[in-house]
Amino acid sequence: MSIPGLGQIAPQPATSNKRIILLKPLWEYRFSVPRNSPGVGVRLLTGTADRDGTELALSRTYTFQRTRSKISTYQGCTLEISGGPVDDYVKDYADPSDSPACQFVNLHIAFQELREAAAARQSGRTAAQGPRVMVCGPRGSGKTTLARTLVALAARVGGQPLMANVDPDEGLLALPGTVSAAVYGTMMDIEEPAGGFGIGSTPSSGPNAVPVKLPIVYYFGRERVEDDVPHWKDVVSKLASSARAKLKEDEAVRAAGMFLDTPPVDLENGGVDILAHAASEFAGENLSIQLTVLLWVEANSLSLANFILVLGSDQLVSELQRHFAGQKTSLGEPIMVVPLDKSDGVVQRDEQFMRFTREATIKEYFFGDSKRTLSPSTQSVSFDDVAIFKAPDGMHDLGLIAVGSKANTQAESEAYEGQPVLEPAEISAEMSHWTLAIMNASVNDPPETIRQAPVIGFIAIADVDEDRRRLKVLSPVSGRLGNKPLVWGRWPEPYINLLG
Amino acid sequence: MADNGADVADDYRQALEDLTMNSRIEIATLTNIARENANHGLAITEVLQNHIKKVPPPRTLPALYVLDSVVKNVPTPYALYFGPKLYSIFMNAYTKVDNTTRRKMEEMLRTWKEPVPGSISTKPVFPPQFVQPIENALIAARNAAYQANQSSFRRPPQVAPARDTPTPPVGRPASHQAGPHGQQPFPGPPNGQQQTDPALAQQPYPMRPHNGPSTIAPRVAPQPYSGVTDMPHYQQPVSRENYGAPQPGISIDKLKDDIQQLIIAERTEFARNPLDASRQTRLKALLDLQAIIQRHDMPQDQLMLVKDRVTELAVNMRAPGAVAITAAPLMSSTYTPPPPPVVSQQPTPVPPVAIARPPSVTTGAAAVPPPAAGAGGFSIDALFGQGALAALLSAAPKPATPQQVPSASATPQLMPQPLPQALPASLGAALAAMRSPPPQRLATPPAPAPAPVAAPVTTPAPAPAPAAPTAALASNPSALLAMLRQSGLIQPTTSATATPPTTHASLPVIGGAQATAAPRYQPPLETPLSYQFRAAHLKQFRPSAMVRLEDDLGLPCTHCGRRFKTNEDGRRKKTAHMDWHFRVHQRIAEYEKRGQHRSFFVDELDWIKSLEAIDVDYVAPPAGGNNASNNDSGDSPRGASAQAGGKRGGGQQQLQQLLQYIAVPEDSSRVNTVCPICQERFEMKWLDEAQEWVWMDAVKIGERVFHASCHREATKDRDREDAQAAAAAAAAAASQVQQAYQRGVPEGVLGKRKAEDDFQSLRGKLKMEGY
Repeated sequence: MSIPGLGQIAPQPATSNKRIILLKPLWEYRFSVPRNSPGVGVRLLTGTADRDGTELALSRTYTFQRTRSKISTYQGCTLEISGGPVDDYVKDYADPSDSPACQFVNLHIAFQELREAAAARQSGRTAAQGPRVMVCGPRGSGKTTLARTLVALAARVGGQPLMANVDPDEGLLALPGTVSAAVYGTMMDIEEPAGGFGIGSTPSSGPNAVPVKLPIVYYFGRERVEDDVPHWKDVVSKLASSARAKLKEDEAVRAAGMFLDTPPVDLENGGVDILAHAASEFAGENLSIQLTVLLWVEANSLSLANFILVLGSDQLVSELQRHFAGQKTSLGEPIMVVPLDKSDGVVQRDEQFMRFTREATIKEYFFGDSKRTLSPSTQSVSFDDVAIFKAPDGMHDLGLIAVGSKANTQAESEAYEGQPVLEPAEISAEMSHWTLAIMNASVNDPPETIRQAPVIGFIAIADVDEDRRRLKVLSPVSGRLGNKPLVWGRWPEPYINLLG
Repeated sequence: MADNGADVADDYRQALEDLTMNSRIEIATLTNIARENANHGLAITEVLQNHIKKVPPPRTLPALYVLDSVVKNVPTPYALYFGPKLYSIFMNAYTKVDNTTRRKMEEMLRTWKEPVPGSISTKPVFPPQFVQPIENALIAARNAAYQANQSSFRRPPQVAPARDTPTPPVGRPASHQAGPHGQQPFPGPPNGQQQTDPALAQQPYPMRPHNGPSTIAPRVAPQPYSGVTDMPHYQQPVSRENYGAPQPGISIDKLKDDIQQLIIAERTEFARNPLDASRQTRLKALLDLQAIIQRHDMPQDQLMLVKDRVTELAVNMRAPGAVAITAAPLMSSTYTPPPPPVVSQQPTPVPPVAIARPPSVTTGAAAVPPPAAGAGGFSIDALFGQGALAALLSAAPKPATPQQVPSASATPQLMPQPLPQALPASLGAALAAMRSPPPQRLATPPAPAPAPVAAPVTTPAPAPAPAAPTAALASNPSALLAMLRQSGLIQPTTSATATPPTTHASLPVIGGAQATAAPRYQPPLETPLSYQFRAAHLKQFRPSAMVRLEDDLGLPCTHCGRRFKTNEDGRRKKTAHMDWHFRVHQRIAEYEKRGQHRSFFVDELDWIKSLEAIDVDYVAPPAGGNNASNNDSGDSPRGASAQAGGKRGGGQQQLQQLLQYIAVPEDSSRVNTVCPICQERFEMKWLDEAQEWVWMDAVKIGERVFHASCHREATKDRDREDAQAAAAAAAAAASQVQQAYQRGVPEGVLGKRKAEDDFQSLRGKLKMEGY
């Protein structure tokens, strides 16, 4: 019996879109949440499941937004999927050993044994080092996912590995255009689009439901390494020295080892040289690092259409093998190159998606995400109260010249001869909406020092009032910027008005 | 070490006494002491042995870990000293601890069969002749336990043989031994003395291991369900655990269907390959099983087990997987004792030689329900490997069923009489091993090492070992070679009975089809580094690895899924973890009203010094971070890196005094309100930046709160940082902020404290300037 006027309300379709999905061991639930989707909820009903190595808790709904990822399972599980819209499918494997997860786990086990060995030796007299692993491969081959999984698995068994990223295209716990590193000893944020590698996991003034990770960040300010190789090498060296110091200082981290995520390799543009630089920097002199280089080879199991890619990667393997042949770390460990297959699940992320992701990351840096709202401070400062630096024009081209030539050092020195690496930037309306890095240095420091200083944060320029010579800036923390130099990079370009 | 042995021993005893929980640091320390006093090794060995013997159960595991650590790190002389005592130490401890600890102990035992991780030597931690008896005892106990389970089925047939056997007396002593302790479930051989003597192998005595297990079985059974023996018991909680989520009821029809399917599949296989004995036996076994199921009304529990088995078989048949394969090596290495029993199927005594033959056939059959009267029970037994274990673990020894006798008869030479149950037991072990991943892993390590082991240990029961491999062979010739090598090693020592005939016998059920994987599987954990990273190795699916990442890590936190082990240490961590969740939830609610903002990142030094905050609130460094950024800390040494730091030297070091504070503790009764050093109260004030009431200039070290400045003064002599030499000045700066971050794990902090270093004086001076 319905009362007129009250019976009209249609029953809420709230529960109607719930689906139950059954995954057998090592199957994957792959999903892609469109950017305008309110998010898809995933709840683990039975069994065990994880996202990139971090386990899901039972019966808790995880909401994923603007991400393309997967839930995989080692022992089988049932998932309840709710919300949407979402593009998703279940990837099944007739033979469990076909699953990339299988490789990941076996890799992890192998590393874990090295770690245990290191820890065991540590209790003796010598301080042993865990494995130090560089992950490299072509663009979109799943490097970061592999690294994230290995880090998560290591943390899961109680390790505290150091994760370093030298690919400026994607920031690790920082905005894009940076290189950074952090120790991962705690749960990673499953719901975060970047699965624990995103800016959302960095400390804020308040508590965070997922333990925060503390990064050390250096600013590169460009999208690709090739855009300014000398600068990239500088910041990588800085990052490497910090990482070495960290490994030296912290026994738990030392035993757990390090993972290094690298820029995509473009063989024609001196890619191997870039990798070799990263490897040797992180290998260091006084604290030599055995680098196990992981290669992420294009799948050979797929189709012949990939033939060229396969070739390219094979070439990469051999290049690297040649490069590292006979090289040893000072601990006497050989450098090993391990080829792996590319996962067929890797989605090629188009530029549009990447751009959207970057935008969202910047927004999240200042304003937080759906779980945690942050209140940045908006300040108005005089042109005279801030010191903004930028790389001089023309540097860009010099950087390009340097790329690819084996005699980089020479090109470098010529390029920099007599030129300051940074110059004070003219404040103009052009600067609006850019995101600038705040360097932990003094404005009076020499340009090289400023450029290599760690980043303590970012500000966004909301508005430039040239007439009144005032800037409106958005800063994560209230308070004056003091005499911290700001560096204006060339990337990522501004797309949004954060205060808009 | 001028001290005499007694002093050392005494000190060591006291040190051990202090070891109450599983702390890596403490264990490492104890290991070091042992290392340094290696010349008094014997005394230390004794102290440790006594300690393990008498500590209360909860503290046994740490003590064992000390043993483990000592032996692995200082193999000479400790491995030598402990080796002969290993059996008694281990079994003694094993009997008194709870199931979780037992699992840990089994894990540890497994590592003893492998070389020390990271060491160059490929020798196992303990030579197999010391580990093997323990393993035998454990397996035997397991078998016994589930025989006990099945006692109701078996009872009548067994009683008779029991009395006939000459061996019982031998069995008795063993049980007697156990008697006084009351708890000791496995009165297995007190280490393989007799076993090692080949001459003795022929005599009843060596058989003790068998007796042990089987004798126990009876005693075990009654305890859990005193008097209820008639019921098929599946009640042990333990067994449940193994099964994971218990499945809802099983339809018997479905089960019958499945079996039927299997039989059909098997028949086709058989038709294709009629000469394959293993198939034949397997088929027969299946048929028997079917008959039993149709005839008897079985309780759900058992049906479930049967079903599990059947599904597993079905899976195996379809896709020969690594799982099945593992069984073969496992059998060979771990499960030596029960082989002769196979013979037991035949009711009449057979001369040893003859016995050897029959097993080949019988075993196969036995794998599944043997047709004999009691057989139904047995075969099911075999299927229920796990229940047995459970029973064993939960049970205390008390003789109930007559089964002991049959076990005694295991000695083929003396008593060729059939011991029906022994056979099932062995199968059960195999099956159990296959089913539960951990055993699998266990199985792998021994594979490489069987050669030395085989001779002494296997003597009593050599048959099964060869059997397994052979089964594998049947289907895969390539596996054959490896297997043969193994079995060859084993057999030489064994008596006539041990002979090849058994070969085809035991494993066919499982192993036959899947053997192919065996060779791949063999190189397990101890493989050389390069091997592990080879593509073929990386692509191999190992279910055991998955378990290692999940179940082995304990139960997950319900909030976030992080797992915690179920031992003492794990519980402690979990408590801290849950506390952390609680606090954070509370504070999140609080902070939602206040507004928050992203913090600045930290400087290099802070980052290097900061320790990963695990299950403590991350203490944002607003004092350090924000102020430093607002003020002129640009000069602060950036250079843990030698380049920058070195150049900037100490002189121009004008450090901003960094504020240190902690939030006012919520429950101030639990925290000291005066600084223990200067005895003054902490100053409470509202800090705008933190939006909290704080104690300024305070720092919490462990459970106590100090004035940061007092603490700095007091500790500067043992200041711990040893950043790079060139960055001495930098280090001074860091000491002021380093306390801003704490690691939740106290050991972390302790572990980091380093002895004074060369720059101590310099640093002290700099610091004074800072104030």
